[in-house]
Amino acid sequence: MSGAFILAWMVLLLPLVSTVLISCFTLKNDKLSARISIGAVLAGFVMSLLIFLSAREAGESNITWISIGNFQATLGVKLDNLSALMLLIVTGVGSLIHWYSQGYMKGDRSYSRYFACLSLFTFSMLGIVLASNFMQMFIFWELVGVSSYLLIGFWYERPAAADASKKAFLTNRIGDFGFILGIIMVWAATGSLNFAELKGVFEANPEILGATAGIVGVLLFCGAVGKSAQFPLHVWLPDAMEGPTPVSALIHAATMVAAGVFMLCRIFFLLSPDALQVIAWTGGITALMAAVIALQQNDIKRILAYSTLSQLGYMVMAVGVHAPGAAMFHLTTHAFFKAMLFLGAGSVIHALHHEQDIWKMGGLKEKMPATYKTFLIGTLALCGVPPLSGFFSKDGILAAAADFRHHGNVFLFAIGVLAAVLTTLYMARLVLVAFHGKHRSEAADHSHESPSVMTGPLWILVIPTLFAGFLPIESAVNHVAGLNHAGDHTQAPLAMAFSVLALLIGGSVAWSLYSKAESDPIANRLHGLSTALKNRLYFDEIFNGLIYVTHEAVSKLAEWIDRILLSSFIVKGLSNVVDVFGRGLRLFQTGSIHTYAFLFVVGIALVMFFVMGGVL
Amino acid sequence: MSILTFILFLPLLGAGLVALLPKTAKGLIRAVALASTALPLLCAILAFLSFNGAEAGPGGYKFYQKVAWVTALDINYQVGADGINIGLILMGSIVSFAAVCVARSIQDRTKEFHFLMLIMIAGIMGTFMSIDIFFFYFFHELALVPTFIMIGVWGRGKNKDYATYKMTLYLTLGALVALVGLVLLYVQSGAKTFDLIALQEQLRDNPISSDAQTTIFGFLLFGFGILVSLWPFHTWAPVGYDAAPTATAMLHAGVLKKFGIYGLIRIALPLVPQGAQAWLEVLAWLCMGNILYCGWVAMRQKNLNKLIGNSSVAHMGFVFLGIASMNLIGISGAVLVMIAHGFLAALSFGLSGYLYDQKKTLDMDQYGGALRQMPFMGTLLVMAMMAGCGLPGFANFAGEITVLFGAWKSLPWFVTGTAWGALIIGAIYALRAVRKMLHGPVANDTPPLQDAANYWIKLPYVLLVASLLLFGIFPSLLTDKIRTSVAKVVKSIEAGTQDQETNLAEESVKTELDIQLAGQD
Repeated sequence: MSGAFILAWMVLLLPLVSTVLISCFTLKNDKLSARISIGAVLAGFVMSLLIFLSAREAGESNITWISIGNFQATLGVKLDNLSALMLLIVTGVGSLIHWYSQGYMKGDRSYSRYFACLSLFTFSMLGIVLASNFMQMFIFWELVGVSSYLLIGFWYERPAAADASKKAFLTNRIGDFGFILGIIMVWAATGSLNFAELKGVFEANPEILGATAGIVGVLLFCGAVGKSAQFPLHVWLPDAMEGPTPVSALIHAATMVAAGVFMLCRIFFLLSPDALQVIAWTGGITALMAAVIALQQNDIKRILAYSTLSQLGYMVMAVGVHAPGAAMFHLTTHAFFKAMLFLGAGSVIHALHHEQDIWKMGGLKEKMPATYKTFLIGTLALCGVPPLSGFFSKDGILAAAADFRHHGNVFLFAIGVLAAVLTTLYMARLVLVAFHGKHRSEAADHSHESPSVMTGPLWILVIPTLFAGFLPIESAVNHVAGLNHAGDHTQAPLAMAFSVLALLIGGSVAWSLYSKAESDPIANRLHGLSTALKNRLYFDEIFNGLIYVTHEAVSKLAEWIDRILLSSFIVKGLSNVVDVFGRGLRLFQTGSIHTYAFLFVVGIALVMFFVMGGVL
Repeated sequence: MSILTFILFLPLLGAGLVALLPKTAKGLIRAVALASTALPLLCAILAFLSFNGAEAGPGGYKFYQKVAWVTALDINYQVGADGINIGLILMGSIVSFAAVCVARSIQDRTKEFHFLMLIMIAGIMGTFMSIDIFFFYFFHELALVPTFIMIGVWGRGKNKDYATYKMTLYLTLGALVALVGLVLLYVQSGAKTFDLIALQEQLRDNPISSDAQTTIFGFLLFGFGILVSLWPFHTWAPVGYDAAPTATAMLHAGVLKKFGIYGLIRIALPLVPQGAQAWLEVLAWLCMGNILYCGWVAMRQKNLNKLIGNSSVAHMGFVFLGIASMNLIGISGAVLVMIAHGFLAALSFGLSGYLYDQKKTLDMDQYGGALRQMPFMGTLLVMAMMAGCGLPGFANFAGEITVLFGAWKSLPWFVTGTAWGALIIGAIYALRAVRKMLHGPVANDTPPLQDAANYWIKLPYVLLVASLLLFGIFPSLLTDKIRTSVAKVVKSIEAGTQDQETNLAEESVKTELDIQLAGQD
């Protein structure tokens, strides 16, 4: 095992050690807990850097988890361009958010528990990143789900947080149901779970899945639909904002929700063209739908949550149009600027004593200059202003969608451009309403800039937000995904022109609507549509109804049958018969031993009956 | 003398000592009970650790011992362990010790309770280590009788009598039907022996006729099935466990209940494989009843114990699915689920008992925000619920996922249903329980709930959680042992069903088995 693999194992295991240490020993010592947790992820970052920079060969190191017949499940670390990049993102952004949390969570009575959960999350996420096989991917997929559950429900005494955590977990489970079936089907067809082996199998025989290729692809994609909150399982992500804001930044913006995209890039080689079509359209629909809903949200975190949904839709769409490199590129840049935006929002919320309504903010530009400046840079990057990182990565996706000769599609391209217009619109609305204009509440009037432990990470995140666009991520990832032919799309003039056009349209509309607004001007003009958007297009209501008519109804029926029919009617009837029977036999019953003796006799008599009676 | 004999007789010895002690010497009674389960636990750990190196006796059983008893009928005290039951013996010892720890809350007629509990534990241990069918059955009955008395005398709730009555009725009926099957097997085999090893050899060369096999397996399936709460014969379980004292519920739901499954895997599958094949589809459908139907029923429960009871019934569905797969992976998974579920059921009922002792109710609506009042026990309950809905890291996941993989090829639609039950329905009721009891605003409790005060109280729960985690993270500690022995079972199934039209033995599986067997020896 070469040095890089030892380092990778350590990166993976250190956060686990931290979780165990904190939960077993240092729950009462807040400072030490924070130090352990931060130390683990920082050390992980340094080692990830070493791995990234070392002249490593792609490869893996595995240990056996279960081995029965041809069910060979292993746990391991797989190192290639894709995992090395994700390692850097997870530990890098993770370190900053751990650091920031020290300030944000200060004084919380479960401070240590917070860091224990954060370490558990880091461990689980790294497990996905380093996964060398499907079983490991699924194991850590579930663990990420549970750490997300624990962190969304961190303030579990608040009913909203407790409900949101439950909803997130259950919605994810629906996706995981498809995911595991897909995994089992791949295994049943090929006999392997290991990515490298599978890749070899698929290269030798691309048709190995036969007629089921499309179904398998879609089932595997279900996992991403759940975790990356794609339509129609997107409903959990906005609610997940009930968790502490650093958690929203780390898990529900930068890393975990991107796991679905990462997974799709990892298994890109086995996705059939049909499955990719489904993926592309799901992504496109999510990108557009979420951007539309974001227009009429008033909670600063929910706007960012819908924006995350929309951007994840972009990434998924990119995978669907055969551009996993572009997807990973956007994932990377998005991780930086969206984490920064969330941390900025956290800084605002912290300063305003947990006020989250943007219409009760206003004029924060002067009160919180550092937060404002970084937030603005993040916004510009998200909107795709050249030459910030978001411009290049979004452009990569639009260019792939505009590549009509290969796998592009004019409708998907149009959706992408439209979503870009809307992105600029809702982000400009957010910045103009929250940071510009006059103070609209007392809390906003009395706000102060957050301490340096919180603004520090913001400034650090500015660096990659500005420059990550110049990294050659796209081609490096395409190489891993086995797409050597796909070059850099960034030169495509059509995409770039539309991208800039979208920026201008969105920006100018937002300026005219919101630069002087005291309340939302379009809410009155759109009436019903606005209400529908505020209610998030009634997805929650529809789902509740669906669950009610399916599971709740079936469950009621089953319980009724169980209670009435089986417990009362049949069993009581049976017991009455036995009771009558028993009364007649009371003479023989002097104690339980005798009953038993009797039953033995009955048993033997029955046997004799069968044997003698020629039943057999 | 075999180390297994110590595991079996130490609790019996303890029971004898307890019987001699005066009623008032509660401390001494507790000490004896703890010692006579702690020592077997040490022995079981030792046996588990030295299993690979131990010398294999007749039939491949390790730690083998045989003492002639009734030579005329060829009934012998005969114990041994292979990969299938070594894990069960370890699990049984851990759960037994934990149950004795938890029984400290029994204040009324302490002596009698501990006496019965130790008898039950000895019976449980004997069941899982006997290679003689007579003793296999005898020890089960030995454990069952104290169970009924414990529920009837120390049970709780107004339905106590009804529950005892129902449980006794069902379990006696199940045991009786299974007995019919076993006696039929004895008669039909013509081997004139209860010795499992001899029976197996006899039947390998002279299998029972196909029709007779079908009849025998039918008796065994439903007899053993009733004991394991096979749908639709499951309704005794939630009611019975709700009324049972904590330690009894832990021991029965955790360990003794597995008698039925163990019997199916150890006796029914290898000895009457053609019969098994005939019933395979019925079994697969019934296991849907366990997983989906009982899961739905669990969703509606308002009482924590009924929820755990129904979920425990639902979990048995995985085992039945694994058996119905009739292949190496599926059956190995079933054994793993069996062990994992033993820890989990004991942990869940132990925790619910802890809550009941404090609040005298398990109505979930009466609780709220309990995690704030009792962070330690609350966290354990969250872990138990998560283990129950198949979270990786706990042993249940390892077993369940193995079953799903194993059953896919022959029963894909049943696997789909099972996966839905495991991932969605299981999660719904588990998280609802957490949401109602542990999350949300803190309920106005007077007096407030107390967290576990010291290490001594925490010990049994920690032991059970640690076992779940250990075998969840390193399942190969168990599966490496299980697969070798299950491979033998599968070999007899294949040999026994070879001449049948539907040839189950696929090329790939067969060669793998050979490799597996060669690699192990």
